[in-house]
Amino acid sequence: MAGLELLSDQGYRLDGRKATEVRKVQARMGVFAQADGSAYLEQGNTKALAVVYGPHEMRGSRSRTLHDRAVINCQYSMATFSTAERKRRPHGDRKSTEMSLHLKQTFEAAVMTQLYPRSQIDIYVKILQSDGGNYSVCVNAATLAVIDAGIPMRDYVCACTVGFVDETPLADLCYAEESGGVSSLALALLPRGGQIALLQMDARLHQDHLEALIEAAMIACKGVSKVLDEVVRQHLQEVSMLTAE
Amino acid sequence: MKETPLSNCERDFLLKAIEEKKRLDGRQTYDYRTIKVTFGTDYGCCFVDLGKTRVMAQVSCEIVAPKESRPNEGIVFFNIELSPMASPTFEQGRQSELSVKLNRQLERCLRNSKCIDTESLCVVSGEKVWQIRVDVHVLNHDGNLMDASSIAAITALCHFRRPDVSTQGDEITVYSPEERDPIPLSVYHMPICVSFSFFQQGTYLLVDPCEREERVMDGLLMIAMNKHREICSIQSSGGIMLLKEQVMRCSKIASVKVSEITELVGKALENDRKARKAGEKCGFAESLPQERITALKTDKTPVEAMDVTEKVDDIIQKAEVPPLSVPSPSLPVPGVGQVGQNTWGLDEEEEEEEEGEEDRDSSGEEEEKGTKTQKEKDKDEVVELSDSEEEEVVILHPDT
Amino acid sequence: MAADMRLPTIRKPVSVSTFERKDLVVPGDVITSDTGYMRGHGTYVDEEKLTASVAGEVQRVDKLICVRPLKTRFNGEVGDVVVGRVTEVQQKRWKVETNSRLDSVLLLSSVNLPGGELRRRSAEDELTMREYLQEGDLISAEVQSVFADGALSLHTRSLKYGKLGQGVLVQLSPSLIKRQKTHFHNLPCGASIILGNNGFVWLNPTPENQEEDAGGFYTSLEPVNLSDREVISRLRNCLLALAAHKVLLYDTSVLYCYESSLQHQVKDILKPEVMEEIVMLTQQKLLEQEG
Repeated sequence: MAGLELLSDQGYRLDGRKATEVRKVQARMGVFAQADGSAYLEQGNTKALAVVYGPHEMRGSRSRTLHDRAVINCQYSMATFSTAERKRRPHGDRKSTEMSLHLKQTFEAAVMTQLYPRSQIDIYVKILQSDGGNYSVCVNAATLAVIDAGIPMRDYVCACTVGFVDETPLADLCYAEESGGVSSLALALLPRGGQIALLQMDARLHQDHLEALIEAAMIACKGVSKVLDEVVRQHLQEVSMLTAE
Repeated sequence: MKETPLSNCERDFLLKAIEEKKRLDGRQTYDYRTIKVTFGTDYGCCFVDLGKTRVMAQVSCEIVAPKESRPNEGIVFFNIELSPMASPTFEQGRQSELSVKLNRQLERCLRNSKCIDTESLCVVSGEKVWQIRVDVHVLNHDGNLMDASSIAAITALCHFRRPDVSTQGDEITVYSPEERDPIPLSVYHMPICVSFSFFQQGTYLLVDPCEREERVMDGLLMIAMNKHREICSIQSSGGIMLLKEQVMRCSKIASVKVSEITELVGKALENDRKARKAGEKCGFAESLPQERITALKTDKTPVEAMDVTEKVDDIIQKAEVPPLSVPSPSLPVPGVGQVGQNTWGLDEEEEEEEEGEEDRDSSGEEEEKGTKTQKEKDKDEVVELSDSEEEEVVILHPDT
Repeated sequence: MAADMRLPTIRKPVSVSTFERKDLVVPGDVITSDTGYMRGHGTYVDEEKLTASVAGEVQRVDKLICVRPLKTRFNGEVGDVVVGRVTEVQQKRWKVETNSRLDSVLLLSSVNLPGGELRRRSAEDELTMREYLQEGDLISAEVQSVFADGALSLHTRSLKYGKLGQGVLVQLSPSLIKRQKTHFHNLPCGASIILGNNGFVWLNPTPENQEEDAGGFYTSLEPVNLSDREVISRLRNCLLALAAHKVLLYDTSVLYCYESSLQHQVKDILKPEVMEEIVMLTQQKLLEQEG
């Protein structure tokens, strides 16, 4: 967008953040009593709701059961009121199918599916308000929901979108920055081992900048993981206080 | 049709071979299969062969109203068709996961990187723009559809010529190819996808997996770059976990491969241009190799024929004397077929006997009896191995 | 009829004691680097370090370390009493949904034939399976064994198990049910309760005649009188109140909760303030009892 300076001379972005700052993350686990696991996460103005059912018996097509592990079934959807203009999004359009596939791929890497042969784990994520970084917020919300459901995971999965402007990597892009034609990279990371579960990048970027960008993404993800860690521990404390006799 | 699962021994074999850095077709870990680029008669039609994977791309254009959000930019539309012709596991009509993945990948690789100048496709701002449509059809699936599709798509776009348009006030005239030469699209750069497949939880890496390798791989990393070393798209798929160093290594390998492939594509485009200029016949039919079996025509292979006799004598002397008598083979009941055992010994004896009989003019019964008893004796010497509970088989001999 | 509405209020922060009494871990936390320990559920070994894979508290029994998550699907053990719903009728067995990670299996040979006969199951029995249990029927059963993939094998080879008739089912988390000697209780208020280990709790009016000659398949369809229905409704709301405050459920706690709730109307019990009050009273009573 012409005229909008994504990174000012003093190093401030459109919303006043510095280049490496991640937006404020607020989250809550166990929001739904009915589901096995649920979580609500806000990252800046992007809000997502994640619900996990499972592991349970394979419903639907029996032929898709895997004899040695669980099938992870993800569904990503955006509410019609989530963007600036109300847009009816039919289920099964290419973008949401692609996102669902990416989410499935991310969680297949992290969830220990070998412990649940012939079962199915469903992860449903809905974006209630979209302000950039949709995929990352979904992953973070779904991680909390999976932990809430008591499904074993190797480690947290934290994701973050970073962009590259004026030779500087910007962490956690908002919608204005994303649509400004900035080359953005989405990274899903398991923080402790530094393993990348998903790497996705669009738009042109010179090869020499790739390392710096991935590095910035990893640092941002580790920051997010600290916040998620806090949330989980707080929730654990609260619930164990309640169950204490 | 449901995909037949890969057998365990095949999977183990492939994985073991990969551990020893060996591939089924003898390639090295970072080698591509032979890439062949051919063009059709029309502008914008391109065939790419990546080993046995065959992909066709066709570019077409038409004038439409532009999108409201971008009134002075043209529209580029990509579509990859996976028809059952390519592989029996592809189903007609259903949008499978693979098809969604490939389509989105191609869109991201070519559209988001802005390789085509869309503003030059504008005819009348806000009213009429060119819509370029790239249709990629997969003709044969032998692994690595993404790379082949991306090469085909970008080559077809470079090859394509759109009709010339002139505006006079409110009138727009679209010239047919006979009136004015069609003009090529302005392609800024050529993004090419390179696929890396990972095995054994990321320990082993292969470039350009073939279909068998794709079945046993853990995950795939696709990097799209152009020859200016700009990365246009990165996508990791499959449930693998990568390390940053692996990604950096792959990007370096990708830059090398991309420059090679871009050179090849450039040469092919150049050749085609020259051929068309010179008026030669060009097109799909011409470029198909004549796959006739030419029995009498063989390429002369050079053979060293010096000192042949000396070499032959040498070899014969050094060789062992072959045994004169053949050990009698164990033979199941005659008439029962057997696999794996050498029955030459017995047959030769029979043939010799028959020949012997024929040599002797219409032999007397005594001689026949003699040969018969001889055969029976042979039969008695033979060890029967048959478990068959069938009735005794009667063999009709040719001389009876 | 007036509808009850309320504006959202900020939740009162639960006062967290400064010291962590329990060993709480999150996925990825290293529990110990000592290789002398055996790893149990909820953990995995990553480069010789014992790491947690779920969020919960660490339980150490001698050399065995396991992590118990806060909330999980029912992991059945031999001898557990479960309440489940039949989802499928297959050849020689029924599939029962018991809130575990795979549907449980009830073999034809593990049920009592009507009339209490003891004989080998014939082909006719296979064909008339649907007359005993159909899809949608609720049963109480006991876990006989666990299959290799984790599915439970149930049996109803006792007169107290079998198809359940008229009553109310309450679905709660399995972690809230206390393990006791018996899970079938006849509460003095006039209702019977079955606390299934899988979190399904069944409330029904106490039958007058305790002898069940039918062997668990006969369900009485006589109308239940109003007083019994009220008692059952009150019990159900009390269960929900206790579950919302994560109080461990067993016959005594349910009874105390019932008694504390008598001053309120049945439908008021579900209001948050009333729930809190009742639960506090219950917890006080429980502490007094133990103290």
